[in-house]
Amino acid sequence: MGLPKMNNNVAMRNIFWDRIYEHARQDKNVMLVCADMGAPALDKFRRDMPDQYINVGIAEHSMVALAAGLTREGKNVYTYAIAPFATSRCHEFIKLNCGLMKLPIKIVGIGPGFGYEDSGPTHHTTEDISIMRPIPNLEIYSPCDSVCATAIADLTYKSGKPAYIRLDRQILPIIYKEGTDFTKGFEELKKSNGGTLIVSTGNMVHVAIEAANKITSEDLSPGIVDIYRIKPLNSEALTDVLFNYNRVITLEEHMLDGGLGSLIAETIMDNDIPVIQRRMGLRDYIYAYGGRKNIQKACGIDVDSVIKVIEQ
Amino acid sequence: MYLYFLSYKCLNRVWTVLYTEMEAEKLRYLEDKAHELRHLTLDMCIRAKTGHVTSSFSAVEILTALYNGKILRKDPKNPRWEDRDRFILSKGQASPILYTTLTDNGYFPKSWLRTFNTANGHFGVHLQCDVPGVEYTTGSLGHGLGIGNGVALAAKKNSRDYKTFVLLGDAELQEGSCWEAAMLSSTLKLDNLIAIVDRNGYGVLCRTEESAALNPLDKKFAAYGWEPRVINGHSFEEIFKSLEDARTRNKGVPLVVIANTIKGKGLPSWQNVALRHGTAPTNGEVDQIIDELSAGCRYSNGKKCPLYGFDDLDKWKCPRWDCQK
Repeated sequence: MGLPKMNNNVAMRNIFWDRIYEHARQDKNVMLVCADMGAPALDKFRRDMPDQYINVGIAEHSMVALAAGLTREGKNVYTYAIAPFATSRCHEFIKLNCGLMKLPIKIVGIGPGFGYEDSGPTHHTTEDISIMRPIPNLEIYSPCDSVCATAIADLTYKSGKPAYIRLDRQILPIIYKEGTDFTKGFEELKKSNGGTLIVSTGNMVHVAIEAANKITSEDLSPGIVDIYRIKPLNSEALTDVLFNYNRVITLEEHMLDGGLGSLIAETIMDNDIPVIQRRMGLRDYIYAYGGRKNIQKACGIDVDSVIKVIEQ
Repeated sequence: MYLYFLSYKCLNRVWTVLYTEMEAEKLRYLEDKAHELRHLTLDMCIRAKTGHVTSSFSAVEILTALYNGKILRKDPKNPRWEDRDRFILSKGQASPILYTTLTDNGYFPKSWLRTFNTANGHFGVHLQCDVPGVEYTTGSLGHGLGIGNGVALAAKKNSRDYKTFVLLGDAELQEGSCWEAAMLSSTLKLDNLIAIVDRNGYGVLCRTEESAALNPLDKKFAAYGWEPRVINGHSFEEIFKSLEDARTRNKGVPLVVIANTIKGKGLPSWQNVALRHGTAPTNGEVDQIIDELSAGCRYSNGKKCPLYGFDDLDKWKCPRWDCQK
């Protein structure tokens, strides 16, 4: 059973910022604070709403602190930087302002995982989920396509809660239909009677789909779940899904320590779900050059590796 | 004509005398209040057996001037009043002096002080934003100035005329985030932002100049586009003078007042003793420390200021009037 794949030629960050642009045109309280980071869609924002756009320079602590003061005074602030700098660089600032003071800042990190493939290790983000998860009150979104990213732009614009939104840098195919309800937190994109379910997030959902499409045996064909809201996880509804399978494979472009695989393992354990789990992700941090697929291969999280695990 | 001139001169003279007397009275009131707040803070920390006494005592005059000296525009009955001046205590370890100042100004009942750091208490060692009058949770350093940027910028965006005051520790300025923020404040032309540096010269272990040197601090701020003013942070006159144009400044340059202070001011045996950071007097030290504080009160006549009673804390007043008898 194949999944529909629609053509797409726009990266989700542009779709996301276009949507925030529309909100900002109507609502002067929407502000964007970036750490010297651009995107084509942001040029328009900066040109049309210079009063709502602040570039603090390459200073992520300053970015979060400024956002905190603005947010406390009633502004609806989005911060923006490459994922490692938006998260781990200023982690304690996020903990204090979003976690402890519950200031509803929206932190947007671009290019998680190996999104900045050939920029090398400094720009890879293979720990953001595990370090952002323990921050109290912080929601975490990880869309896999532009339709979902647009919906997350709407959800976070209206939400009074702090959030971290990890947006893939590359152009990814569209999976969801326009108008999909994204309040559930995850979607079972493909059901299966084959006994195996792949749970993934962000760009790796596409790897899971590609692997599933290559499996010819109907008996082995896996189900696929996309977790686009990592926190709060809709564990109740997810538990109902997991009960239908014998085996779950978690797939992430992220360290195994505390990532999506850990989250699903915790859910399985906490809810006494009789299912075997295989975690696919980075056991240790390694990197290679030559493109994202090459790095994924080196890490054992590419399509072929997923097929191998499904067929085991 | 001569008579008219004489009477004008006379009136002027009377006014000058009256004004000077009023100013002197105000200073006396503030000095007494500073002593009272030191007393209340010390007692609270002795009872709780914790709290940053010395970090609080270097900032007493600054806080007394801001709150009791009416530099800040405030409404204790409505702590979230939209037009209040925002005061951010970035050196959150000095929470004891802010808590006592806030209760003295009517933000919450004095009896809350007795619950400092207890199981059913309202607050602990570092500063919490859910206490009435406290704007932000602090305690980890290097946050306040950056947040102050956001608050001051929001005032401009929202066309409000409140001022944003940030009290920084000097050792806190060793955090790089302060300088990230400082260069942004001037870039954003935040002339409605006033930073005050409690320059007591010490971190936890040693003098700041022995760990990561800050001097020349005024020149550093000037180089970052700020207007620095260096004062004696225990002189009310100098504090008022340094902030007299705080409400009218409009040249696009943020103001920093570097207040030279003494860590542990008022407790001679603890002053400038690095390892007294973050501690309260223990049992064997209490008597001597209370003696030292009492000696700083103009009314004590050699008597010891008594510790306050826990049960009638809301009725507690500084016992200086008793000392006068």
